[in-house]
Amino acid sequence: MNCYEHTFITKQDVSESKAKNLVSKYENIIKTNSGKILKTEEWGLRNLAHHIKHNKKGFYFHIKFEGVGKTIEELEKAENIDETLIRYLTVKVRKHDLKTNYFEKKDF
Amino acid sequence: MKKNKRFKKKKIGSRYSKLSLFQKPEVKFFKPCPLSGKDAPVVDYKNIKLLKKYISETGRILPSRVTSVSSKKQKEVSISIKRARLLALI
Repeated sequence: MNCYEHTFITKQDVSESKAKNLVSKYENIIKTNSGKILKTEEWGLRNLAHHIKHNKKGFYFHIKFEGVGKTIEELEKAENIDETLIRYLTVKVRKHDLKTNYFEKKDF
Repeated sequence: MKKNKRFKKKKIGSRYSKLSLFQKPEVKFFKPCPLSGKDAPVVDYKNIKLLKKYISETGRILPSRVTSVSSKKQKEVSISIKRARLLALI
């Protein structure tokens, strides 16, 4: 089992309930493909440093989980098709740092 | 008397003229790396406050000869800056 961190950005016009559905949808994909979720973070609505696909703002979500190579394959396959996402990133880490949160949650 | 005074002044005042190949320089040129050693900050793509110190005003990565970061840590910094750029954090 390897440790991974995953972040994705959704479009600004996605409603709050829809965004939470999105998170649970991707968490289910991780769970069904022999993964284990440790922590999920919401960074809230943030200004993008530069425009991406004509978007100025986006909702950030961050998931820390353990898994194998196939879990990421299935995750990114599903995210590639999704039109509400702007961008995603998976990073392999040696050890999970569950204490520090660099982005405290802002009010919507 | 006058000759002696001049001689003494030269000896004390001119620091740089004494430098030779086999002599240690009195002025320190070397700065220690700010990111390695005990209780150094963690380099991470989420730690934007730290990474912003190591980019220029226009967003380019500063060379390590300017910031005096060690080559091992410079590699970590440059990778994490590129990750932060991808997520549009910087």
